[in-house]
Amino acid sequence: MERITRQATKRTPFVDLNFPDGRLVISGEAYPEDAAAFFGPLVQAMREFLASGTTDVTVDIALLYFNSSATKALMVIFRLLEQTAARGRLVTVNWIHRPHDEAMAEFGEDFAQDFSYAKFVLVRRDAADVA
Amino acid sequence: MLATEYYAVKQDLDRKGVIVSFGGYLSEDVLVALGEALRKRMALDDTDANVIQRVFSVFVEQTQNVIRYSADRFADTADQAIAFSSGMVTVGREDGRFFVVCGNAMDRRAVDHLRSHLTQLIGMDRETIRRYYRERLMESLDDDSSRANIGLIEIVRRASAPVEFDFLEIDDQRSFFCLKAFI
Repeated sequence: MERITRQATKRTPFVDLNFPDGRLVISGEAYPEDAAAFFGPLVQAMREFLASGTTDVTVDIALLYFNSSATKALMVIFRLLEQTAARGRLVTVNWIHRPHDEAMAEFGEDFAQDFSYAKFVLVRRDAADVA
Repeated sequence: MLATEYYAVKQDLDRKGVIVSFGGYLSEDVLVALGEALRKRMALDDTDANVIQRVFSVFVEQTQNVIRYSADRFADTADQAIAFSSGMVTVGREDGRFFVVCGNAMDRRAVDHLRSHLTQLIGMDRETIRRYYRERLMESLDDDSSRANIGLIEIVRRASAPVEFDFLEIDDQRSFFCLKAFI
């Protein structure tokens, strides 16, 4: 599948779905005007990629802020990744947040509970390093 | 006369510690512009980054609730996500704490449900609301209608004191709903 990239805007994150390399990155801010319109096509592409490929998958999520609608999109993506890992594919999710960011650390802890097959790693790092 | 009149308005806002205030038709573009001004101003005052984040988060959820649920709303028929909704939002600082207030007209028939839902949320302790947030989010993955509840939970969760709310009947069909959260 072809690589999909989106440049960041004030309210939407930088996205790099590098399917050939099995490396997916979402970073920055996420409070889109219409979360379903922004994330829908990306989720659909991920769904196809995860259903067909066999490569290991590494996902870096380095968000600084996301609203409640974007949270829902993240949950959909995480569920998809966990299901993929449950089928035997190696999936690693790096949840990257700045060292003193309490909200993002707490979200990471909560999301971690949803994974048992995929590896979910909490990474404290300056988020700017990712993109 | 003109200057006197509006200087009084400006002084009143300053006295109330208002950082940004908007009344009229709110849209997503207005939200972005106000949000930027709010973050910039708080950063200039050397506000703690986690506090800026929480105030911003409550501001976004409150403002989006007005945009989505104001009874006085014009939506693009082709794209329901693009809307102008009448309401107000104010962010300020009172006794060293930030607050976000929003207000909008709503259908009177929905008041009882909203009141009991808010009362339930306010009664939850920190860990309970954190769990409840996750449970509702899980449910919402298969049910589109519960989006507003997630936003409300986020507001109550980020607030540092119980959120205050009030309703005022404005005509046969509508009530004015007001929500104030301290961060």
